[in-house]
Amino acid sequence: MSLVRRMFPLIVTLGLAFAVGRQAVAHALVVESSPAIDGSVAGPQIEISLRFNSRLDHQRSRLTLIDADGTQHRLTLSQDSAPDMLQAKATGVSPGTHKLRWQVLAIDGHITRGDIPFRVTQP
Amino acid sequence: MTLLLDLFGFLSVVLRGLMLTAQSLTVGGVAFLLLLAAPLSSEIGVAGAVVIKRSRTLLGWSAIALALVAAISVLIEGVILADTVGLTAGETLGAAFVLAGIAVIGASVAIAWLTLRDRSAGFSGLGLLALAAIILIAQTMTSHAAAQIDDRLLLAAADLLHQAGAAVWIGGIPYLLIALRQCPDPVTWRRVGKRFSHIAMVSVAVIVIAGLVMAVAYTGSVAAIYGTTYGVMVMTKVALLFHLLLLGGMNYLLVERLAGNPATPMLRLRRFAEAEIGIGITLFFAAASLTSLPPAVDLPNELVSFAEIADRMMPTWPRLSSPDHADLAIPALQAKLDAEAAEHAHKAQAFVPGAGDLPPRNAEDIAWSEYNHHWSGLVVLAIGLLALAERSGRAPWARNWPLLFLLLAGFLFLRSDPETWPLGDIGLLESLRDPEVVQHRLFVLLIVGFGIFEWRVRTGRTASAQAALAFPLITALGGALLLAHSHAVINAKEQLLIELSHIPLALCGVAAGWARWLELRLDPPAGRIAAWIWPVCLVLVGLVLLNYREA
Repeated sequence: MSLVRRMFPLIVTLGLAFAVGRQAVAHALVVESSPAIDGSVAGPQIEISLRFNSRLDHQRSRLTLIDADGTQHRLTLSQDSAPDMLQAKATGVSPGTHKLRWQVLAIDGHITRGDIPFRVTQP
Repeated sequence: MTLLLDLFGFLSVVLRGLMLTAQSLTVGGVAFLLLLAAPLSSEIGVAGAVVIKRSRTLLGWSAIALALVAAISVLIEGVILADTVGLTAGETLGAAFVLAGIAVIGASVAIAWLTLRDRSAGFSGLGLLALAAIILIAQTMTSHAAAQIDDRLLLAAADLLHQAGAAVWIGGIPYLLIALRQCPDPVTWRRVGKRFSHIAMVSVAVIVIAGLVMAVAYTGSVAAIYGTTYGVMVMTKVALLFHLLLLGGMNYLLVERLAGNPATPMLRLRRFAEAEIGIGITLFFAAASLTSLPPAVDLPNELVSFAEIADRMMPTWPRLSSPDHADLAIPALQAKLDAEAAEHAHKAQAFVPGAGDLPPRNAEDIAWSEYNHHWSGLVVLAIGLLALAERSGRAPWARNWPLLFLLLAGFLFLRSDPETWPLGDIGLLESLRDPEVVQHRLFVLLIVGFGIFEWRVRTGRTASAQAALAFPLITALGGALLLAHSHAVINAKEQLLIELSHIPLALCGVAAGWARWLELRLDPPAGRIAAWIWPVCLVLVGLVLLNYREA
């Protein structure tokens, strides 16, 4: 019996450590974006702009463009954008379906990430 | 590391809950020393010095716990950030949350050093106050207020005051227990109790006013209070606050009665204070859960209407027959992929545990989940009714009700994750890469252990008084974890509708746990009243589960 008793804190601790759930709604949200979710933009040069509901740490956030074949291109973020904006420029983007993957560090310390699927059309 | 970022979602809520608890014990301890223990020390004689010494011990260890939790939290998040963004150690150290964490760790270590190095020597009240202020300011830097676009200063001030009020009141209660244990007579009891009541009243006023400012700014409308997860969690905090105020109010009345009747049973005051600590910790976990959610005001298009909520909550007949396993989304998809693989060489997997993707779901999956909840509800309802029968004294055989938990555990083991072993194609070890599967398996273990353990207590096979406390502690902990848990669903509206059924379960769990605690710890007749409350809470849990719906 004492073994069972001793095991309780262990089980509870393990439960605390591993009982995890994926969060569909995270802390920082994209309020508006260009390109929009499932929207279309003309290529091959794209101006990217994402506005969030939080102040961001631009130096510690990132934006990646993922091609239809899964190739990832890390984009250089503009460091002088507004506190709640992520801005970048992508060049040489071919027509087709792409995905913009963002990961931001909000000033309050929350890391959040998400995807924006969109289509690139001929200029 | 990306997977770790997904996992960190819930872990960060748990760490934040632990941090708020340790922070409140630390800041509350400083406030207790400066506002109660030191000023009253000379009035309560020899006991005064003992109270200060023991309070310093608890304060020192609370500060060490805070430093440890803050270090673990900053380390995990720092490593994830550095790896996923590709930062150097120097760049990571410059992040605001790292700097705030270092400030909390530094101030906590300093408090521990000041209080533990020589507990008989005097202490610098001003120094402790300054260090407590550093902790609160640093913690405010990692609150919603810090990242707001507008009204940042006002919201930061409200957040700081809200945290300070909670720390002084709830964090001060364990120190009140230390003091009450040392009080030699009813006069001293009353003096200590009355002073703490006054401190608590001011704290509650600060908590409510600062909380109202934040509630208005972050929810934005009445509809958001019930129509968003953020709003509902705020209301959950309010419900827990009322629990606390009820217990605190009863303690206030006890202290007042003491003036006219020195024979007032003071054990009750201590026992209510113990339950207050437990509910207070649950409140901190609800607050931690709130910090991980986006403010309702930022989700104007995701409001769930009253009609949608009423429609989901409308009682319907429970689903007592199960859909076929083969019709569920993952087994059906896997069968299709296997058929395709028979024609090609490559065999694909319908769902890869731990890959970070949400599993596919169809109407049969919803029916499967509702069936699971409804049968679980029937079992829990039976447990509650048997516990009531045992309580009535007319059915001694009903004391075997904990064995029904084994039935529940077996049912959940088989059916909670149908895509995995033993029903599905995904093997046991592979399935453990999915955090939700790990969670379900651990909870099955917990239910088995809990059932056997409580059955031994009920049937007299375990005589230890401390052993009986496992039931209330585990039930209350389960309720608190349910508040911190988030669900793998695709949109905010569906998340809210699921939360609306889980929050009553969590609150019933917390109420059941602390009612059982009071039953065990209070002397009759008060303990007998509490003994009726927790079986009723179990019945309510069963009824809520029976009405659970996902569509």
